[in-house]
Amino acid sequence: MRDDGRRARIVAAVTDRDSTTGVAELMRRLCLFAVDEMALSGCALVLMSGDDAASVLASAGPHARTVTTLQMELGEGPCLDAYASRAPVLLPDLSATNANRWPAFAAAALAAGVHAEFSLPLSVGRRGIGTLDLCRDAPGMLSADHLSDALAAADIARDAVLYQQYAPGDAGLAELLETAGNDRIVIHQATGMIAAQLDETVPNALARLRAAAFASGRSMYEIAQDVVERRVRFDE
Amino acid sequence: MSESGDETAGRPAGIHDGDQRDPTGRQTILARAFVRLADTLVSDFDIVEFLHGLSTDSVAVLGADAAGVMLTDGRGGLRLIASSEERMRLLELFELQGAEGPCLDAFSSGRCLQAGAADSRARWPVFAPHAAEVGFQRMCAVPLRVRTDVIGALNVFRGGDEPFTDDEMEIAQAMGEVAAIALIQERALREHSLLTGQLQAALNSRVVIEQAKGMLSEYLNVPVSDAFELLRTYAREHNRKLSEVAGGVVDRTIPSGTLTRRPG
Repeated sequence: MRDDGRRARIVAAVTDRDSTTGVAELMRRLCLFAVDEMALSGCALVLMSGDDAASVLASAGPHARTVTTLQMELGEGPCLDAYASRAPVLLPDLSATNANRWPAFAAAALAAGVHAEFSLPLSVGRRGIGTLDLCRDAPGMLSADHLSDALAAADIARDAVLYQQYAPGDAGLAELLETAGNDRIVIHQATGMIAAQLDETVPNALARLRAAAFASGRSMYEIAQDVVERRVRFDE
Repeated sequence: MSESGDETAGRPAGIHDGDQRDPTGRQTILARAFVRLADTLVSDFDIVEFLHGLSTDSVAVLGADAAGVMLTDGRGGLRLIASSEERMRLLELFELQGAEGPCLDAFSSGRCLQAGAADSRARWPVFAPHAAEVGFQRMCAVPLRVRTDVIGALNVFRGGDEPFTDDEMEIAQAMGEVAAIALIQERALREHSLLTGQLQAALNSRVVIEQAKGMLSEYLNVPVSDAFELLRTYAREHNRKLSEVAGGVVDRTIPSGTLTRRPG
């Protein structure tokens, strides 16, 4: 809102002039816009409620899913910190900086070919609803202009989700929210099952699932699927 | 600094002049009042306390005897929210009841006004005599307005009939504007955090429902889809929300065994 011209320019780039753009499509175009304009290798809009309830609303670019999935799998990373602190986390070179802050994430992201990651919170006052995550396959800081664009894009995404500002009355929003976290359902179910098997709390069960993934080199998702299909138990 | 030898050089004239003309420290009071008016971002913001502060600050800054604030109820009517003293409260209630008076006029016109009780009997036949009777001869009212959005009005009263100066009217108007901005900002923040709260609750309830399904399916040795039906049946029969029941299962305040009745 402090930079209405910038915001208006981005809105014009991602909405249709003659018809209403649905929320889901708007999110997808925001990610595409960021990838194209800022020469990124990935951009994702992630909705969050707590560290372990993240839903990818939209993404673009080959690295978008890599970075968000890694953070959910490992339970650490810049987007979780940006969400928790409601402040941007800017990492122009993952190999040089902050490797100590997120040892598992930094190593895994580099191994996947991601060298820079920028995570901007979608927030209102003291509360956050998610993040806009940008990543690049080469190190380097976002230019001031690109950073301003990215912040404006984060605001547009927030207002589209929270106030339906750009697609009033679009039933697609409810649908989007309903399906956004579907790829994590199996993990939540498995967590409940593990909690029952071990007579443990849900957070402890999730930690056990994460530890098992880390120790075996498989993904949490794969192990969760085994648990839900009763091929793996945690009390044996 | 080079100017430091000369007290007046390089300083805005108003500040120095103000110090001399203002031995009672009106500018200090005014500055404090404005800081207070802008301070709605505190976590324990209380609207009644805020408007009470506006009333008492107006009395101090404008050399008045009483003040009160009315806010719109959102349906075109006004409600008395705060006043600096009891006498004032009764008078403003009287104004609302009689549907005439300076506060109502400032609110409906969106303009500042002042009047003497003695010469307003034609304008406010019920209110003006009543104001004089309880001891107020002079009154001014300013709208609480941000651009075209009028959300209420501030009423300031004097016991004597000395008119408010142009300066005083401007100060009153400025206080009304700052208070209105603060109130609108606070309202927006409150609405936004309500919305984010609802969104977060919706997301969290989906997570906890999936966790509860997994837990039930393990404890009761049933497929996950049946576990969902058990949750729904229990919620319906106990007239509780699905997410509440799921939360109860997950934190074990609802024993899984109590959900075993197979769906219809």
